[in-house]
Amino acid sequence: MTGQRGAAAVVGVGNTSFYKRGTSPHSSLQLTLQAVLDACADAGVDPRDVDGFVSYANDSTEGLAVGAALGVHEVRWSSLVWGGGGGGVAAAVNAAAAAVISGQAERVIVYRGLSEADDGRQSYGKGHFPPLLSAHGVLTPVQVCALRTQRLLEVDAVPASAMRALVLADYHHAQNNPEAVAYGRPLSAEQYADARIVSEPFRLYDCSRENDGAGALLVVAADRVPEYSGHPAYVLSGVQGAGPGWSESVENDDAYTSAGFHPALVERLWAQAAVKPGEVDVVQVYENFSGPAVASLIDFGLCPTGPDAGAVMTLENLTAPSGRLPINTAGGNIAEGFVHGIGLAVEAVRQIRGTSSNQVPGADVSLLLGGPMAPLVSATLFGSESTL
Amino acid sequence: MPVEVIGSLPPDIADLVERHGRAVAAGDLRATMADFRPDRIGQLAASASLPVDLESSEVRRLVAEPDGSVTAFIRYRAAGGAAILLRSRWVRLAEGWRVHQVRNLPETPPRPPTEGPSDGGLDAPHWQGLRAGELRIQRCGGCQRWIWAPRPMCPNCYSTDLRWPAVAPAGTVYSWTRTWQPFTPELSGHLPYVVVLVELPEAGGRRVLGVLRDSDAATVRIGQPVKGDFDEPADGQGWPLLRWSRS
Repeated sequence: MTGQRGAAAVVGVGNTSFYKRGTSPHSSLQLTLQAVLDACADAGVDPRDVDGFVSYANDSTEGLAVGAALGVHEVRWSSLVWGGGGGGVAAAVNAAAAAVISGQAERVIVYRGLSEADDGRQSYGKGHFPPLLSAHGVLTPVQVCALRTQRLLEVDAVPASAMRALVLADYHHAQNNPEAVAYGRPLSAEQYADARIVSEPFRLYDCSRENDGAGALLVVAADRVPEYSGHPAYVLSGVQGAGPGWSESVENDDAYTSAGFHPALVERLWAQAAVKPGEVDVVQVYENFSGPAVASLIDFGLCPTGPDAGAVMTLENLTAPSGRLPINTAGGNIAEGFVHGIGLAVEAVRQIRGTSSNQVPGADVSLLLGGPMAPLVSATLFGSESTL
Repeated sequence: MPVEVIGSLPPDIADLVERHGRAVAAGDLRATMADFRPDRIGQLAASASLPVDLESSEVRRLVAEPDGSVTAFIRYRAAGGAAILLRSRWVRLAEGWRVHQVRNLPETPPRPPTEGPSDGGLDAPHWQGLRAGELRIQRCGGCQRWIWAPRPMCPNCYSTDLRWPAVAPAGTVYSWTRTWQPFTPELSGHLPYVVVLVELPEAGGRRVLGVLRDSDAATVRIGQPVKGDFDEPADGQGWPLLRWSRS
């Protein structure tokens, strides 16, 4: 997507409360509609003028159903990103950007809604656990990510303290975010270490939550931004992909301890945006589990691999406002709430707007990383107007 | 039979374990759960497997561990005479002694009801190989590349001349995880268990999964050599499963 830099922007965001899984009084569609209405109100857009819809992670509500429920004038464009889990969250933003840049649509909603009563448990993993995995007791994403993380720790020698620091940073940020599920429930290093083991090396707090909820972002072409009331976050670059020898390989993926952001993809992200890793002000890194999130930061060169990772991955470095690498400033999937990472996308935009509950002062470059160790991974780099 | 005691036990624990065993045997769920660590009741309750018709319990052995915890072995008897041995680990919390781990002994590998060829059937020759007592891995007859997961054609040369040679079920641990969470009811009675990802030198370094036998007290390490065996289904109806042991 040459010419993508700064050509599209998010001008509206919305999200519902994060309900404990299975307790939402609303259906997936109702939750999604609520988030879409919020995003439209934020942007100053009549919902009937939305003309495109994109989602990911096998969202159970088709974009056409969302459009029909909104009574839109016309659906000009719709799409669903493949790949289980949250690997598609940034790819969905990128797809929306592509649609508005190419003129196929003018106002595209990126959405993800989840209600366990409608979608069942673990809707993110459906179809990704064939008998060659499941017959051997590998039934869930946490076990796949545990296998990969164990090698990250044991062979690559990344210290386990890196995972702990990431989780504690999530919980630290959640204490300033009244909307976070973990608001008012701080987590100590002792509680983290003493929690029950799920699948080694992961204990309870290394694992994301599962929540009912929805989020939505409204994407428009950059030259139309003045028409909207929402403070814009520009898409500086966006990438998605599965590297060579990656995906659906019953644990035979190349670069086994990577999060899946292969070097060519990473290079494209920086080159398209004309941004260097050191210029990133704040990162929303998808934590299905702590280990894959650490691997993501390593893949992007934001953290060294091996024992040196421990010096970068500290609570002090990872927390706003003064850390060198503030991450997951609303609490992330682990402590804010988990609807396949759509909350991370919303928070990445808030940082550009200056409205985060843990604002990084003067944040101009905000990175969103989706779906580590999943069949598909994706990333979006947002920038403020001053970066254009 | 007297309780075998190893080490110097804290004063109150023997009676507590005895009472816990009686509560379990009597089906007193409330008393049983009250002995579990409160933050892991669900995990503990589903980790062990016991028949519903228990008649008695017998504390067989108590071990005072160096870290201050206590390990208890309790044998339960069911109405039909079957004996089931559970091992529980007890820790002293502010509120008193609580169980924080429990498992059935001897350890047996889980067998989720998903064994056999996948819906698409690409892996069917692999499963048929297990029935023949062989580990068969897909290989391209054109470029000789080893292929795993199975594919409909060679991803290297696009040949559809795909073969299924048998390789020695032997290799090294590429990675591993010990799972404690009872994700499905079929896992109860088998937790925790270790799954190893094994690199097969005879199959060009392709990697296959399987449960590691005798892993309860084992320190698992990447690079350890392991050998495989074929675990036949108990009823003769299902499919054999590849299991691994340290070699």
